[in-house]
Amino acid sequence: MNAWLLAIAVLLTLAMPLCMGATARGTAVERLAGLNLATTVVTAVLLLTAQGFGRSSFADLGLVLAVLGPAGTLVFARFLGGRSIETPDTSTRREA
Amino acid sequence: MSVRHVCALVLLVAGTGVLLLSAVGLVALPRPFQRLHALTPATTVGLPLVALALAVATGPGRAAVKLLLIAVIVAIGGAVTAMAIGRATAQHERLLRKDSPE
Repeated sequence: MNAWLLAIAVLLTLAMPLCMGATARGTAVERLAGLNLATTVVTAVLLLTAQGFGRSSFADLGLVLAVLGPAGTLVFARFLGGRSIETPDTSTRREA
Repeated sequence: MSVRHVCALVLLVAGTGVLLLSAVGLVALPRPFQRLHALTPATTVGLPLVALALAVATGPGRAAVKLLLIAVIVAIGGAVTAMAIGRATAQHERLLRKDSPE
């Protein structure tokens, strides 16, 4: 095991469950933040996989995710923002 | 162990640490607007440091340029998505008027 694979293990075991926990609770807009951070972590994991296993073609997956991840988040933010302004607030929001 | 390898390891540990701290902050910060502060360090500092470590390890060439390009794309995209999520949160909290400019 080299340092790159160790970094993958740390990110997948410590960072990803926290991102998933943030994605799984709260209102729809709050979940969006967890999704965005999960996309960033997975991009880093894909780049590290390319180096750790010595397969340079895996870096292309990181490039594709780096382009498509923010686009998906923008679409979600657009739909969620427009929906919450047009419809009355019926959700039970936590007062933190 | 060469100097280049040590530099790559230091950058990798720093980038992974920033990504971990962002994930911890996302869970630890309670309010929606505070959570936005956990998103931008991961995209503008964490992943570019990891990509820089990989570029230092691979050495000069096309692969390093591609990694740095990915770092730049993620940094720009992360800033844009943080603004979009902030706007959606403001609309959700009724802080923006319906006819506010896009």
